[in-house]
Amino acid sequence: MSAMTRNGVTIDDTFAEAFGMSGLGLVITADTPKWAMISAQVMTGFGTSVIGCGAECGIDRELSPSETPDGRPGVRVLMFGFSPDALVPQLLNRVGQCVLTSPGSACYNGLESKTKMGLASGPRFFGDGWQTAKKLGKRRFWRVPVMDGEFVIEDKCGVTTEAVGGGNLLILGRDRAGLLEATEAAVAAIAKVDDVITPFPGGIVRSGSKVGSKYKGAIASTNDAFCPTLKGAVKTECSPDTIAVLEIVIDGLTSKSVADAMRAGLKTIIEIGAAKGVTRVSAGNYGGKLGQHHYHLKDLLP
Amino acid sequence: MSTLSFTLLSAPKQAVNLSALIPSKLAGLSNGAIEQIVLGDGAHAPRVGDLFTVSGTPGDEIAISGASPLLDYVGAGLDAGTITVEGNVGNHAGRGMKGGKIVIAGDAGSYLASTATGGLVHVKGSAGDFLGGTRPGDRFGLLGGTVVVEGNIGQRAGERMRRGMVVTRGKFGPAAGSRMVGGTLWTEAGFGPRPGPLLRRGTLIGPSVDELLPTFADCGRIDPVILRILSRYVAETLGALAPKALPPMVRKLAGDRATIGKGEILLTA
Repeated sequence: MSAMTRNGVTIDDTFAEAFGMSGLGLVITADTPKWAMISAQVMTGFGTSVIGCGAECGIDRELSPSETPDGRPGVRVLMFGFSPDALVPQLLNRVGQCVLTSPGSACYNGLESKTKMGLASGPRFFGDGWQTAKKLGKRRFWRVPVMDGEFVIEDKCGVTTEAVGGGNLLILGRDRAGLLEATEAAVAAIAKVDDVITPFPGGIVRSGSKVGSKYKGAIASTNDAFCPTLKGAVKTECSPDTIAVLEIVIDGLTSKSVADAMRAGLKTIIEIGAAKGVTRVSAGNYGGKLGQHHYHLKDLLP
Repeated sequence: MSTLSFTLLSAPKQAVNLSALIPSKLAGLSNGAIEQIVLGDGAHAPRVGDLFTVSGTPGDEIAISGASPLLDYVGAGLDAGTITVEGNVGNHAGRGMKGGKIVIAGDAGSYLASTATGGLVHVKGSAGDFLGGTRPGDRFGLLGGTVVVEGNIGQRAGERMRRGMVVTRGKFGPAAGSRMVGGTLWTEAGFGPRPGPLLRRGTLIGPSVDELLPTFADCGRIDPVILRILSRYVAETLGALAPKALPPMVRKLAGDRATIGKGEILLTA
């Protein structure tokens, strides 16, 4: 495998392999930006990997009052799953338990799409018959009486099957603290790209996985090739000076948004990485046979 | 954008059905052919040419000059395009319209926009009774779209209305929102006596009510988020025609409790 060097950081000639997914967007508003963010954070919590969490969820961006249907501050969240059907129970539970319950909240569609799915299908029945709908133009809003007034929730939300899950960057370093700092900066740069989320804690995964396991019943296990403590014992992908590897996983509503996000992350790593001990950037793939979307690092270089 | 103009030659002697004069029905016709169109039914139904001079070319816009309360069904069934009327019109204007826009510079008669499902009707004068209402045989009145009236509105506006919005700068007459099933009536001047008889669902917004039915329950002052959504929606869709944004707090009267009572009168003052 040949590699390129940019600003002292080696860029592997490899690619990230990502999968087609279904994605939806919601706009959560509240009386203050703080409470919109609290609701959005709780609603997207425990949404790191579709394998164990049912959906991959995250915050796309904060919205100013002029961008929301009710003129209050808001947050746009994105949810990704294997299919629209797989998103149904996730949407019901997350909105029902985390948005409906949050003081002053309202929940609207956050993705224009021809295909729609029910958003208020479950939560509106919390109204026990007192719920009413108001259709304005093409949008129907349900009003559910709650103890601090009314919970407003839009009837349907857009869902796309063109979404992509699993865009990624693997960042290798010879200094753990510096590597984390540089990776955080890359996550911050990716956060500025619209229509994408980085669903893992703080946008960063330290436990990259490979498919399969020696144990029956485990469908994934540690990516030993990138484990620095095993570099002498296994066929390693680490460099001799690698102390730690961090991964950024990216889900986006479109393939282009994932590529843009990877480009933004890569640019930041190249700009500030070497000084912080980043030595290499690689990407995770399964040989190219599993995922429909391939993002070659060499095509994403600044 | 081409305009087809109809100029009234003299006041008609009998009610005339103008539902044939909408852009989609006139597309591709010559002015001569348009003059031959029979307006309505019956042995004495006039042709367009008997009542109007036709000029211009068929396109997205139709302009009707001249006013008569006998010009019925103006823009009925309109699906796209714009119809402007210089003066007053008769009954049933915009009935069953699906889209497009009707601008009436004068007054409109009864049953304006009954059974309409979309589009915008803008009346610069006043409107008659049963605006967005039902005629015998109709299941519902207004089903969608928006009606803006700058003057007053007659009695029983929104009779069995299901969706859509009626906005007036003036007042609604007696029994506005009677038997209404959904949608929004919004006045900047207030409601006449006894609004909302047998109101099932739907929202009546205004500063005052002349006389309240005893079957409405006072829910006190509230500040629901839907007020903000309504204000923003009308500002975005109606622009200069939009009513003033709603105050943060309104007084809610729930009713009509003589029926399921999930409707509301929201008092803004």
